[in-house]
Amino acid sequence: MIFKLSIRLFLREVKSGYLTSMLVSLILAITIVSGISLFTDRLEKALNSETEEFLGGKLKFESNNNDLFERINESYKDSQHTEMALFASVIFSDDEMQLSSIKAVDDSYPIIGELELKNSSKIYSTTKSPEKGTVWMDERLRNLLSLSYGDEVFIGDASLIFTDTIIYEPDRASGNLAFAPKTIMNISDLEKTQIIQPGSRVEYNYLFSGSEETINAIKENLEQIKQSGEEIESLGEDTSSLGRAIERSENFFLLGGLIAVLLSACTIGIASQRFTRRHISYVAILKTLGMKTVHIRSLYFLIFLYTTILTLFIGISFGWILQNSFINLLASYFPTELPNPGFYPLIVTCLTAFICQMGFIYPHILKLLSISPMKVLKDSISFNQQSISVLLAGLLAFYALLYLYTEQPILSFIIFAGVTGLSIIGIGSIYLLLGSNGLGLGATSSVKLAFSELRRRRVGNSFQIFAFTVAIGLTLITFSASQNLLGSWQNSIPADSPNNFAINITKEDKESMEVFLKENSIEPTQFFPVVNASLNKLNGNDENLSERNFNITWIGDLPAQNEIIEGSWFSDTSENGISLSDEISERYSLKLGDEVTIRVESKVIKTFIQSIRTVNWDSFSPNFFVIGHPSLFEDIPSTFITSFYIPTEKQDKAAEMMRKFRTVSVFSIEELIKQVKEIISQVTKALNSILFLTCLSSLFLAFSALQDGFSTRRHQSAILRTLGAQHNLIKNSSLIEFSLLGLISGILGALLSSVGVYFIETQVFETTPNLYLEMWILGPIIGLVIVSGLCFYLIKGVVKKSPKELFN
Amino acid sequence: MILNVNNLRKEVPSGDGRLIILDDVSLSLNDGESLAITGPSGSGKSTLLSLLAGLDTATSGEIFLDDLALHKMNEEERTALRKEKVGFVFQSFELLPSLTALENVMLPSELKSEKSPETNAKNFLERVGLKNRQDHYPNQLSGGEQQRVAIARAFACSAKILFADEPTGNLDPRNGEIIADLLFEVNSETDNALVIVTHDQELADRCDKTINLKLGKVI
Repeated sequence: MIFKLSIRLFLREVKSGYLTSMLVSLILAITIVSGISLFTDRLEKALNSETEEFLGGKLKFESNNNDLFERINESYKDSQHTEMALFASVIFSDDEMQLSSIKAVDDSYPIIGELELKNSSKIYSTTKSPEKGTVWMDERLRNLLSLSYGDEVFIGDASLIFTDTIIYEPDRASGNLAFAPKTIMNISDLEKTQIIQPGSRVEYNYLFSGSEETINAIKENLEQIKQSGEEIESLGEDTSSLGRAIERSENFFLLGGLIAVLLSACTIGIASQRFTRRHISYVAILKTLGMKTVHIRSLYFLIFLYTTILTLFIGISFGWILQNSFINLLASYFPTELPNPGFYPLIVTCLTAFICQMGFIYPHILKLLSISPMKVLKDSISFNQQSISVLLAGLLAFYALLYLYTEQPILSFIIFAGVTGLSIIGIGSIYLLLGSNGLGLGATSSVKLAFSELRRRRVGNSFQIFAFTVAIGLTLITFSASQNLLGSWQNSIPADSPNNFAINITKEDKESMEVFLKENSIEPTQFFPVVNASLNKLNGNDENLSERNFNITWIGDLPAQNEIIEGSWFSDTSENGISLSDEISERYSLKLGDEVTIRVESKVIKTFIQSIRTVNWDSFSPNFFVIGHPSLFEDIPSTFITSFYIPTEKQDKAAEMMRKFRTVSVFSIEELIKQVKEIISQVTKALNSILFLTCLSSLFLAFSALQDGFSTRRHQSAILRTLGAQHNLIKNSSLIEFSLLGLISGILGALLSSVGVYFIETQVFETTPNLYLEMWILGPIIGLVIVSGLCFYLIKGVVKKSPKELFN
Repeated sequence: MILNVNNLRKEVPSGDGRLIILDDVSLSLNDGESLAITGPSGSGKSTLLSLLAGLDTATSGEIFLDDLALHKMNEEERTALRKEKVGFVFQSFELLPSLTALENVMLPSELKSEKSPETNAKNFLERVGLKNRQDHYPNQLSGGEQQRVAIARAFACSAKILFADEPTGNLDPRNGEIIADLLFEVNSETDNALVIVTHDQELADRCDKTINLKLGKVI
């Protein structure tokens, strides 16, 4: 019986339109949540597999020796593994010579992904390494050496045949000279080159892939046998510009999603309140007829179960369409098709729907069940919808949603406390601001009536202003995210960002290169001296605690886009040491004041950590983990690195430079900059769809809040009309009243969004906060137009009906 | 003559066809007279009262209120007429919950932009015996008291004709009697015409005229 009754009641509610705002809000929330979480899940998976390909495996071990397989235990045999030697050497063709980054690989290479090659007849993909006696080179090197397929080249003493051009290789993270023109050869040809001699600069990389268990076992073993200067690298540390760009985009999406869900949650709360109010008599009658509370509870539980199933089905379907459109915008940035999503997004979606139900609907239903059957007989029995338990459940659900999205309990609590604290202060201030009412309704003129109504309904109005403020404020935050935050991100890559790097500049070449750049009106950032050195932390016994090789520079001035967060930059008046990036300080537990040694070839420099810096890795300028004071490196021989912007029309100057300075490697990052810029613009497009859905959620919230108060206004209007109040009096007074409500809400919404954006800029995206004047203009305008517009729509329906119809 | 009604008909759409609620109703009422409209539930009493007071429009027929053709007026004109000439008492009181008893009574005078709505309202509240409860809100008053406030409000607007829809319907017999007495007393003092819809035969008997409706027709 209950089942049948619940179906009937549910269908009646849907048909009557009373459930519309609740259904639409739930569908909107679920669409946004499922769309965003499906999208970010696929993006993360794609990023992971990208990182895996970028690394060339799931685990990488770097060493200066080629004896790893003799040192580690048998565990590696369960994995796919490969060994490669990386070094720089000059390659000779018949007419030319050129420095190249050479990768000598064994027959297992590559263990992840495929190489894309071009030979004399076609472009093709392969999972094989070069055959013995052959070499593959990238297009740039091929051009510099003026090679044709089948030509002979010399690496050291070895003569090899050039057979293929490298278009794409999976392990792009390999090598210290990763940006120099590249060559891949077979490791079995290495011996006959006679290049690798004791003391030669060569790095051996070992890549492993396999099950998580195997990789963990190998990693554990590698940790144990790791010697000074050796390094282990595993997945999850994507610090590429592209990786960071995608990661940052995800933050924008999650922010947009959270805002839209919070808006929907408010609407659901209001809709539940209305639903409960309409069902008071219904429950009272059912009780009078002898239905047990447990059965009534089951009845309503079933109604909301149907609501959940229906909204989940529709919402997830829309969410799938939404994520597909987002994927289409960004798919071209991934070389392969994006992986299918896992179950996590569905879990997040269902959890969101569950939290909304439990926090914003179910408490109202529980309250409804407490109604006395006497309500049927005596209408005057009061039913207070606002109780502490309903409020607490709402707040708890609010916190749960915050936690679900941020996964950070403290951050969630800060936002939660901030929002609730501001709400209490806000509602209290509005209440006091509206003042107390005078005698009479003030029905003599529209203006008097409007102000009298504002004061007379100040409790309801305070909550209504609060709802409008939330709607306007959160929409403005999303708007600001899509315009200003993305804008400041985009502006962080100015049009004249360095798009070329030059490395391996010798001291002899430096001066003539400066002249060359000046002659061609190219402005370099700075010439940074650079050496590869190891950094050792000392304890009291002079024992090495951690060691790693870095490219170290030494300069007197703090580079742009670096910021000292601990200690102080070098000064002329005190003893100077080195400055570390915060990442390195954290990763190797190196603190301010720690004593360290820097080993450059045979020379050891004893010094200390003078400051810790943040580094903007998006700056496209040379950045360094370790910067030393010039006095420490006075006699150290070094090469130089610089970056500069070459406009498109002067691109030939880069080639000219390479021809003129044969040992210098110049590489372009034009494509990378373009790619990051394009991603930002695609993210803007995707975020605009979120903004659209957020606006829709806001409109629903504003509409629900207005509609909620309009049932009493409808009744009042019927009485006033019976007593002879003209249309215009009612219409104009309502418009004035709601315009004022909208205006106040708009101003408060601008305040809310300014505080919110400041918090997001400083705490979430860690950028410099700005004051956005347009939010202070847009807020009041949106408030005024939207609230008075909605009011006009609702009041039109009231005034065009006869008093008799309004009483019915 | 304050009220003259000829061949009034009211139909509403219902299912496939149209439902006739009132059919060929004619009546007249002179200034100061009282009229009771009686009949079983669903006979069209309240609909007739709504049409007479200009709260709703008829399908056909004529209504002249104080010689003005109500049936030819639009909503705004009817509203203006109600403000000047009509008072109304509802079965369910229909007081504004956010206004005190005094403010509810002041409302018609406010709508007319009269100079001292407060004094006028206080006089009528005193007349219905609620001087001491003037600052109470409707939810702080009993049903009988709320109806007394509604009567005070109806008379405070200096109407020429007062319509009362089951004014004692929601009250116990004792309170019903008090309200009926009050209604007739104040009415005689102001010399208004009075039209009452009622089930109560005693109340109907106190009126100068009675019409009985059955299935929308005067019998």
